[in-house]
Amino acid sequence: MPNRKSIKSRYTTSQGNQRSSNSLKRGKNLELIPTDLIMEIFSRLPSKSIARFRSVSKLWSSMLHSPYFTKLFMTRSLACPRLLFAVEYRDEWLFYSSAQPQNLYEKKSLVVAPDYHTKFRGQTNQDEMCTYASGLFYFHNFILTPKEDKVPMICNPITGQYVTLPNPSNDSDSTSYLGFDPIDKQFKVLAEGYPNHHKILKLGTGKVRWRKNFQCPRYNRPCDGICINGVLYYLALKDGGDDDDDDDDNDDDDADDDDVIVCFDVKSEKFKFIESEYIEFFGQLINYNGKLCGIELVNGDADDSIELRMWVLEDIEKQKWSKYIYTLRENKIDDFNSLYVVGVTITGEIVLAMSYSYIYKPFYVFYFNPERNTLIKVEIQGFGANLKTGAQVYTFVDYVEDLSFIDAKQLKYLCSNIKNKKNKKKKKNKKNKNKKKKKEEEGKIHNIRKR
Amino acid sequence: MSSNMIMLKSSDGASFEIEEAAARKSKIIANMIEVECVDEDKAIPLQNVTGNILALVIEYCNKHIVDDDDDVATEEASEEEEEAKKKKVDDWEAEFMNSMSLETMFELLLAANYLNIKSLIDLVCQTIANNIKDKTPEEVRKIFSIENDFTPEEEEEIRKENAWAFG
Repeated sequence: MPNRKSIKSRYTTSQGNQRSSNSLKRGKNLELIPTDLIMEIFSRLPSKSIARFRSVSKLWSSMLHSPYFTKLFMTRSLACPRLLFAVEYRDEWLFYSSAQPQNLYEKKSLVVAPDYHTKFRGQTNQDEMCTYASGLFYFHNFILTPKEDKVPMICNPITGQYVTLPNPSNDSDSTSYLGFDPIDKQFKVLAEGYPNHHKILKLGTGKVRWRKNFQCPRYNRPCDGICINGVLYYLALKDGGDDDDDDDDNDDDDADDDDVIVCFDVKSEKFKFIESEYIEFFGQLINYNGKLCGIELVNGDADDSIELRMWVLEDIEKQKWSKYIYTLRENKIDDFNSLYVVGVTITGEIVLAMSYSYIYKPFYVFYFNPERNTLIKVEIQGFGANLKTGAQVYTFVDYVEDLSFIDAKQLKYLCSNIKNKKNKKKKKNKKNKNKKKKKEEEGKIHNIRKR
Repeated sequence: MSSNMIMLKSSDGASFEIEEAAARKSKIIANMIEVECVDEDKAIPLQNVTGNILALVIEYCNKHIVDDDDDVATEEASEEEEEAKKKKVDDWEAEFMNSMSLETMFELLLAANYLNIKSLIDLVCQTIANNIKDKTPEEVRKIFSIENDFTPEEEEEIRKENAWAFG
């Protein structure tokens, strides 16, 4: 029987691309599976399996924690974003996800059965949906228990872990968004509200503090935001008031206000407005494969049709828009009013979903292919069959699993007053250790499962 | 395209004849052909691949050579035809992998890695991933013959950190 060494040397000499020497022993044949092949296999697993297999051995634990593997996993999951569903019913949020349906154009009836992930207890304002960035969800106002106050909350829908943030202001009209800068891998929360106007919270710095006094324009009534490639976009009304004035001057006539899209660059913290005659038609904003896109859905001429109008922002500097109008026809949609556009797949299908469903009726997601002019209906099983009347469903088409935040520790560091280990190189003595422990407790990490 | 045949020889001495176009699926063999170190009368010795595994590799390469030949034609082919063809290959791959034990899959993966056949590495990795996805750490240790080198305390700690994944 050949020994380990000889096999290993055969691998590295007879083969062009040299495999890592840190190999794993396997089976009675004493064959070696190179670590990078093991990582190839593991990068194709869901994050849940990865977290579980970290307890296989020390080597696997360090391999599955390594930055190289995290990056490999990210590349893989970016190539196949998942459908994510957040189902809200009576102060409960349930998260499910599934791969995109395969072979869309083959069969007539397609069915997808998503995996259940986690449940969160708590409530948020009906008209205030969360923002989503790089695998994490952010709720501006979340009430964890009836006794507690509304607080901003960031959660990982896969692991069920969440952290709360201090309130940016006491103003009930304020709103805030989670943004992610992919270059520095930096999360920031932008809060907006009168009278103090903007505030920023930079996460993962070891200091949870809202910062104000930075250059910001004025506008009114911001609504649903979306973060695309490091820029937060949201619809608002441009205020004719003075930029430097912190006081509320709502007495400015609303008639002067123009519809605008506020763009906030997460990295540079600079604001920009997009103004266009089209913006007043936008019912929502979506990510059209990296471009901002405004959506308007209206009833079509025929009873069973809707018209989908889309404005894609081709060039942000020149503010050049491309307009597309499609007529969607589907006689099996019971209620067109519940439909909204969720986003676009990497293969170019425009995805629409129901925002709620009637009891005993199936829940559907629709894939519209503009080139083929086809509308494919996909039934969502599992939660779809058990939806209660009044349940709201939020669908996301571009959910990318990210290993960076599957650890409770990592999420905790993001939103706590303790510095990340990386920034803290000094060895601590016993005293400091105790101090750290205490501080960690202050970091407020909650594990939903334990509740 | 001419159908040059070349010979491959497994570690246990079995010889296989394969079309050059199919053999080129392996980057290693393709390189050998490029630098003309392939003697037409001599078989290429593959020391790391046994006959039964090499037979599987060849079966895979033969199945996938067809689409490469058609590359020029695909532009004219309608989208439906293309999809039907893709479906056919997908079905064949599923069937091909379905008949294999996990042990064979690992051997096939090592062979594909040695011969540098990217698409086969992808296919086998994905199939193994699907197979172990729902397994417990104990089951995975058995499959990969890995010793648990954690102390009970360390294991409890790491399980606690990843408690959400055990639900």
